[in-house]
Amino acid sequence: MTDNAGEGKRDRAIPGQPDMWVLVLFEALVFTAYFAVYLYHRSADSELFLRSQAQLRPLFGTLDTLLLLTSSLFMLRCAQTARAGAHRTAMTSAYITAFLGVAFLISKITEWIMLVRGGHGFSSNDFFMYYFFLTGIHLLHLLIGFIAIGVIVYQLRGPARRSQELVETCAVYWHTVDLLWVLIFSLLYVVR
Amino acid sequence: MNTQPNRRPLIILLILSAITLGYLALDRSADSQGTFRASSVVTTIAILLALVKVRFIFREFMQVRNAPALLCRLTDLWVLIIGAALLGSYFSGLAVH
Repeated sequence: MTDNAGEGKRDRAIPGQPDMWVLVLFEALVFTAYFAVYLYHRSADSELFLRSQAQLRPLFGTLDTLLLLTSSLFMLRCAQTARAGAHRTAMTSAYITAFLGVAFLISKITEWIMLVRGGHGFSSNDFFMYYFFLTGIHLLHLLIGFIAIGVIVYQLRGPARRSQELVETCAVYWHTVDLLWVLIFSLLYVVR
Repeated sequence: MNTQPNRRPLIILLILSAITLGYLALDRSADSQGTFRASSVVTTIAILLALVKVRFIFREFMQVRNAPALLCRLTDLWVLIIGAALLGSYFSGLAVH
């Protein structure tokens, strides 16, 4: 994260490759369709959904959200310091982002294990089907996000192959993982 | 080259974290003695707060604030579409069932 003097004056450029933005906006629409179906079905059997939702632990969801939001801050710092030419600092931020992502992964898997041990699986009822589907597909995106971080680190390590556009493209992907989780968290843990 | 951290993203993170923690209070206000109760108000507030967070992430973390106006408008439009789809499906579900 830098406050380089020229940043405010630099040309208003799209962060990363435009193709990644097309993917991001498409992904957001696909997830919105999942969410819309979930909310519609929720209304059909609100008692069952509320009873099942009470089995979740809001502290897990809150912790997960804080972890991913903080990881987004470090990813932003990574992209901005890389742009400023401070590649070592950028790499450190990328590693911290990955660490926070791993913490999210561990937290999510721990919650899954606790739920399954409590007798709540994918086929238990409609709520848990949506819960495991949405959190599972999100986790898949998180794993792809780790590959994106790997690309960033690979780019930053080699002076000859550094591409700021690629770093920012991967950063946009990571932020999308965060953005989708923010919606999933409120829909699974908070709505009534 | 100035690589001093800009405080703005940190402030944004604090705002987003405060909203996230605010959900816990929202949770408690909706439930009575450990029993979850249906509430359209809580659902609407939860969805609207999530959309506020999504817009913050787009504008600040994804640096759309400094991007061409087209991308700014497109992401704002996306937030509106997501909001309309979520609230629309929730309330239409309530109306049908």
